[in-house]
Amino acid sequence: MIEARNITKIYNRGKFNETAAVVDISLKIKDKTIVALTGPSGCGKTTMLSMLSLILTPSSGEILYDGDGVLRASDFWKTVFRRNNFGFVFQHINLLPQYTALENVLLPIYASDEDPAQYKERATMMLDELGIADRAGHLVEQLSGGEQQRVAFVRALIKNPRYIFADEPTVFVDEETSKIIYRTLTRLRDEGRTVVISTHDVELMKLSDDTFRMCKGRRA
Amino acid sequence: MLKKHRNIFSYSFDCLKRYRMRSIAIIVTFLVATTMISAVLFAKDGLEREAEYSVSVAPDLTVQYLKAGRVAQIPVTYADNISRVEGVDRVLLRTWGYVGIGTNTYTVIGLDPSGLNYSGIAASSLESGRFLNADDSGAGNVVVGQLIAGILDVTAGDDMILLSESVDAKRFHIVGVFSDKESIYTADMIVMSLEDANEFFKMDEGMVTDLCVYVNEGLVPQDVAAKMSAMPNVRILDQDLLLRGYKAAYAAKGGIFTTLWTIVLVAVALIAFSQAIVVGHESKFEVGLLKTFGFSTLDVIEVRLIESLTLGFFATSLGMLFGFAYAAIFNAPGLVDILLGWAFLPSEFRLPVVVSFESVFSIYAVTIIPLLITTVVPAWLNAITDPELAMRRAAT
Repeated sequence: MIEARNITKIYNRGKFNETAAVVDISLKIKDKTIVALTGPSGCGKTTMLSMLSLILTPSSGEILYDGDGVLRASDFWKTVFRRNNFGFVFQHINLLPQYTALENVLLPIYASDEDPAQYKERATMMLDELGIADRAGHLVEQLSGGEQQRVAFVRALIKNPRYIFADEPTVFVDEETSKIIYRTLTRLRDEGRTVVISTHDVELMKLSDDTFRMCKGRRA
Repeated sequence: MLKKHRNIFSYSFDCLKRYRMRSIAIIVTFLVATTMISAVLFAKDGLEREAEYSVSVAPDLTVQYLKAGRVAQIPVTYADNISRVEGVDRVLLRTWGYVGIGTNTYTVIGLDPSGLNYSGIAASSLESGRFLNADDSGAGNVVVGQLIAGILDVTAGDDMILLSESVDAKRFHIVGVFSDKESIYTADMIVMSLEDANEFFKMDEGMVTDLCVYVNEGLVPQDVAAKMSAMPNVRILDQDLLLRGYKAAYAAKGGIFTTLWTIVLVAVALIAFSQAIVVGHESKFEVGLLKTFGFSTLDVIEVRLIESLTLGFFATSLGMLFGFAYAAIFNAPGLVDILLGWAFLPSEFRLPVVVSFESVFSIYAVTIIPLLITTVVPAWLNAITDPELAMRRAAT
């Protein structure tokens, strides 16, 4: 289970442009569920998701995984924890433009002790499941937005992570890709993964087991 | 663990290929800088080797006569006095000076041919002909450096005419040509008998320009020099003093350029640093992404280290190769006149080039260390930032 206790994030603290993106939020996310963070643009969903996924350090508060606080752990520990447990899908997709779809999918493997070549078959199979196997050898810039998002999904799932964090996964994609994403997320939950998403998408909210609404950095 | 490092190596080399423009920019910049700095340092090493060689064949002590603090002709009677100093093995009379042929200036050395085997000149090999011997005294025979032979297109057996300061033309017969193509020591040298040199330079009767003193084997020349220092109006030069003088001249010339190119490299490094910090959005984004996917700070630094070392060693090694070719094959156009500015050597002279371990090490140090700093430090700064912030800053 993921638990956030009184999480606050203030950017540029003490400066003229100080911004409180998230203020005193607490929440619990059960295992094997889909949880949606919702709310209007600029309400702090992405910041909250980033803090839960340990790629952004809160200004105060605590985050616990299975009851253990993780924020005081070293940067190295958090990096290894992310490597072994997390999969990420970003709002802006964040693929490396100089790499092919397949190479982007294999990127997380380079940080591990495993041979990326051994994952090629699995990666190709997963790309096929999302209908873009024929695009595996194409550079990212040669893919459409929907195709890129599907590549990002495969990259997030390539190491079979326990937690998947997806930031507005359907915001820039077409209807067909959105449907694929809904199916994929549902399947992941059914397979026992925990999925945390930030979204405006009503369909995504519908298939979520729990929803946390945010407004101006606070829980609404 | 080993597999992970293999993955990081693989990723790093891949990056070099994929970020082609970034790699090419670094290679070209460092290639230009290291080519120039290598040419200067290798030429300086060559000139220093020449200095050491020139000094090694110089007499143990050179005695000059001072008048009003300036070097003047020395009476040959001093040779007898010096011969009697304890520890002195032999004293050779020498008259030397400069002669102009066309626009070039050459060095004329007059020695007693019977004592020639004592002087270092005899250690130099000949391309053709023979050395002077006792029969050549006053005979107008000379041995010339190969540089002169090349410029005047003469060889052993030919005659050459030298014009003295008093505009008296005198014909000399070339009996030998030195072979050492790259030796400054013999390149511009015209060796003749002492009698011929005295006549050519119109020396006063009983006078020469200096005395070459050889001390008994096993003695320290400076100890013998101390005993001679009581003689009036003399200046005694030992080999160490000569070497310091030569090296100071070469190092000063080389040093100016080394400094200039070090400044250039530092400027390049600063540009690279500012680019890495201000312009390197791509790199920032990449580091943030790698950290998100589980690359540790050390892994990120390892990636950048591998990239930088690969690029740095490649570019610097290639630069050194180009620098060597520029100096050794093309004779460093644009640099040779400055490096040899202290010498009266014509432009036909081939710049001596030596590749020393110290220079190679220095070149690697002044190129690769700044490159490492300018790439690894920003990568480290990004890697210790929260990945989300690193990616967000890269996007803005």
